[in-house]
Amino acid sequence: MSKGINKAVIVGTLGRDPEIRYSSNGKAVVNISVATNEAWKDRETGEAQERTEWHRIVIFGKLGEIASQYLKKGEQVYFEGRIKTSKWQDQSGNDRYTTEIVANEMQMLGRRSEQAS
Amino acid sequence: MARGVNKAIIVGTLGQDPEVRYTANGSAVANISVATNETWRDKATGEAQERTEWHRIVMFGKLAEIAQQYLKKGSQAYFEGRIQTRKWQDQSGNDRYSTEIVANEMQMLGGRAGGGGAPMESGGQSQSRPQSAAPETAPMDDGFDDIPF
Repeated sequence: MSKGINKAVIVGTLGRDPEIRYSSNGKAVVNISVATNEAWKDRETGEAQERTEWHRIVIFGKLGEIASQYLKKGEQVYFEGRIKTSKWQDQSGNDRYTTEIVANEMQMLGRRSEQAS
Repeated sequence: MARGVNKAIIVGTLGQDPEVRYTANGSAVANISVATNETWRDKATGEAQERTEWHRIVMFGKLAEIAQQYLKKGSQAYFEGRIQTRKWQDQSGNDRYSTEIVANEMQMLGGRAGGGGAPMESGGQSQSRPQSAAPETAPMDDGFDDIPF
């Protein structure tokens, strides 16, 4: 029986430069903030609507280092990976949850400002 | 210029029966908890490892009604949709965030909980029961202005 499939595909624009740090065993951990946009027409009013969704993407190891080296704010990138939710405790001891996409594939697509030319 | 792609694909097993409620204008909203499993071998020790990931999946309208009718704890299903993070305030007034997958497509799969009897499987069934429910892949474009939050 299938164990399951957990896949996210994101094509979006970086909101800021990647942040890189290293875990205690020397492995790179890179955090990236990526925006995707959606546009639609409101059924009732006919008005164009738009929404930006922000995604937290994390990349480990070699791919993380490459991302950290080449990606910058404004870059448009393809990411593929799995969805992961971590549980942690805040200062008051409450359980909190953070959902991220752990990317195992990335392709740079160019900067948004360059594509118009 | 591309606006972006925001897609999640989940094949997993329901951890409990769907929870369905209705918005003020009578549209269904279904919340589903789906588990996916991952196994791998620890590089250092060679031991087999396993992890379960839980996903919150929400569906609206017709698709929500289909989910309520045909999915239950233990059902295996395919979901496709977009990732959405909502901001809300807890009792102390703190900002909190919840990430969900808003599904616009669902297919029931064989799986554990008697999937063979459900008429909405993608394989198609010969029994022709009069169906008021829409086909399992109801398009999502009727959902956005119904979002209750």
